[in-house]
Amino acid sequence: MKLVFYGGGDEEDNYQLDTLLIKNLCNKRKIKMTFIPSSSYMSHLDFREFVFQYQAHNVERFIHFPIDVHFTEVLKKEAFSADIIHLSGGNTYYFLQSLKKAKLFKDLKAFIKRGGILTGLSAGAIIMTPEINTAGFPPFDCDENEDNITNLSSLNLVDFEFFPHYKNSKRYDEHLLAYSLQTKRKIYASPDGNGVIIDNNDTTFCGRNYIFYQGKKIVVK
Amino acid sequence: MQTAKKVKKEQSTYKKFDSIDGSHPFKDSVPKGFVDYPARLRKGGKLAYFNFDLAREMGLMPKSHPDKLNKELESKILETFGIVIINEYDKMNSKSFPQKEIKEGTYMATRYLQMQHEDKTGRTSGDGRSVWMGHVKHRGKSWDISSCGTGATCLSPATSKYNKFFETGDPSISYGCGYAELDEGMATALFSDIFHENHVPTEQTLAVIQYEKNFSINVRVHECLLRPSHFFGYLKQGDYKSLNQITEYYIHSKYPELAKKKKKNIYELILQDICHDFAKVAALFEDEYIFCWLDWDGDNILMDGSIIDYGSIRQFGLYHSEYRYDDVERFSTSLAEQKDKAKYIVQTFCQLFDYLEKKEKTPINEFKNHKVLKDFDQHFEDYKDQNLLHKIGLNSEAKEMIFTKHRKLITEFRKDFSYFEKTKSKKGIIKVNDGITWDAIFCMRDMLRELPQIYLSRNENISDQEFIEILRSNYAKEEDLYLNSYRHEKIKSFQNHYWKIIKKVSKETNKNTSQVLLEVTMRSSVINKAERVTGDAITLITDMLLKKKEKLGVDGIYRAIKKITQFQAFDPKMKTLPKKKFFQTDLMKNVFEIVKDYREGL
Repeated sequence: MKLVFYGGGDEEDNYQLDTLLIKNLCNKRKIKMTFIPSSSYMSHLDFREFVFQYQAHNVERFIHFPIDVHFTEVLKKEAFSADIIHLSGGNTYYFLQSLKKAKLFKDLKAFIKRGGILTGLSAGAIIMTPEINTAGFPPFDCDENEDNITNLSSLNLVDFEFFPHYKNSKRYDEHLLAYSLQTKRKIYASPDGNGVIIDNNDTTFCGRNYIFYQGKKIVVK
Repeated sequence: MQTAKKVKKEQSTYKKFDSIDGSHPFKDSVPKGFVDYPARLRKGGKLAYFNFDLAREMGLMPKSHPDKLNKELESKILETFGIVIINEYDKMNSKSFPQKEIKEGTYMATRYLQMQHEDKTGRTSGDGRSVWMGHVKHRGKSWDISSCGTGATCLSPATSKYNKFFETGDPSISYGCGYAELDEGMATALFSDIFHENHVPTEQTLAVIQYEKNFSINVRVHECLLRPSHFFGYLKQGDYKSLNQITEYYIHSKYPELAKKKKKNIYELILQDICHDFAKVAALFEDEYIFCWLDWDGDNILMDGSIIDYGSIRQFGLYHSEYRYDDVERFSTSLAEQKDKAKYIVQTFCQLFDYLEKKEKTPINEFKNHKVLKDFDQHFEDYKDQNLLHKIGLNSEAKEMIFTKHRKLITEFRKDFSYFEKTKSKKGIIKVNDGITWDAIFCMRDMLRELPQIYLSRNENISDQEFIEILRSNYAKEEDLYLNSYRHEKIKSFQNHYWKIIKKVSKETNKNTSQVLLEVTMRSSVINKAERVTGDAITLITDMLLKKKEKLGVDGIYRAIKKITQFQAFDPKMKTLPKKKFFQTDLMKNVFEIVKDYREGL
């Protein structure tokens, strides 16, 4: 299973993580990448940035696959034939709901099983974990659950939870430490530009990351 | 409390509104071209919408003015545009109004030809519920301003039909009562802003003022609010003098340099312009599925081909070319007939300019082989090809190259494209809420959006089944999708021509096909976005905006319309939005859902 969790940020912030993804994890010529936006609303702008970001790593083939609007089975098949599928940032609740409505969990799991690499940035990374609770706090930096989604269970590809856009500060720690006492899972917290790479049984941390677990904070370098 | 200095400053900030007082150069130039009305202030008005951007462009307020309404600005808008005419009914019934409510200026209802009038020559028709507010110039540009809903004029179809004058607001006669409605004003503001953003020539809405019972005054603006029908009335009547006057007025306002030089072939030059503009919009309307009821009277369209009167304007999701609006006494023309109607308008101008030159009217049929009509056909074909090159997603350089050097490629591809675009449901003609239609079944935008991505991924053709799967809309039933040998050939031909265009661009621009396909993919994903508004979507979004109007206020409504317009902008060069948030607001989420649900409809 090959997964990459991006803490957030732009092309410049993520250059190192992207290099590790393309050169080490994928290591293939003529890579094909599928971009799944969290919402198709104005997603062509994000897709364009995505293309520019990975063109810098010599990727030439891209598929834009919005899933909250009409799509055909033909495009879906093509999207899932990619080497890498990227789940974008955005509103985690809406993204989760759209993926469930489009019944794509099964396809994403099958994609990973056959060796595909799934990457996610911010909301997209949270989606890869068992539940999307971390999208709901801290109150000063959280997603709005506009449709009041109550079933927060997600792809469940790893046994930890993920907290993106982490800032090493007291006010973030306060909420993360409190939440770590409520959940049995570890919470990986990554600032923008940093992240976590899972390559089967190996876990690599890119940049400085943090783990919150049972009321404690651990720095991972 | 405001200081006297601040009040004085704000008053001078909005001083230009004072020039909008009913005066207009048309009045002196075409004395028989209008009916002039005194007017009075209409009480109880409340601003519902104001286009800050347009007001700044027109110089009605400083460039630095924020998108924020203040009391002074609102008062200025209400006292400038919130009027009701004192009409023939008022005079016959000796109605009196307090002197302080009477406006100083007079306001003209212009005369123009309208086919719904029995007269059919324009003697009785024209602005039935509108008057022209004035004319504004700013930084080398000028604008005509008119207000719809300012009272019943003698040029309404009701007066002509019943041979009597009506009281403004008379509930017994809806269309002739002289009032406009709030929902039509807001829908026009929204629809025209979207079209304007996407370079579809159109009138624009400056303001909407709401009155009780959801009536409104809708203030419209364009560089020139003259329609072909303003000219055609005099042509039908054989009123040479007035026709000459209105043409001279038009030449002096639109072509001042030519007028100064007194060019001999000026009519020919103008005819060429009209021919070009009408061929261009006819192709644009057809390719963007914009339903605009064009007819022989030259109503519903302005002299440069811009849209005026959104009452029956629609944008379809698919090529529903058989839709006809039911106007009680007649059915409208259809999308497919618009080209011939536009051409006929040009033919009428051939007759008109010939009449002006010879002072003798030659029957219109004598002009059916006029050289300019051949030009019209050529321009139309040119624009059809150019529009398709744009829709494919090619950049300017590639479009120009294919169009000038390899024209046959795009012309051939258009034949395949049109075959699928025009395919209709086996169900045949059906009734819809406001007319009749015959459903198109294939969504060409979906094909142009998905195909380059799949080619980029596979580097080979897709199967027939896949082709149909991408194209099929919700209107298609299984019996519509049968793959006969002709359709099989068309699918093959479509894909071959598409590849040929991509490969030609690749060869001539020294890019590999993957690079070309990637660029086309990115541009096409914007140009052929799945979520494009239709007429039905506009109606529902307008209803939603009106429900939220009190909460949003004038500033909020303006921001909401700008956001919707931004969402509906199909410019592939659009810059990334700063701090883009999820849907930006709840309202945008609802807009998104509506657009999605109605994207293939009427």
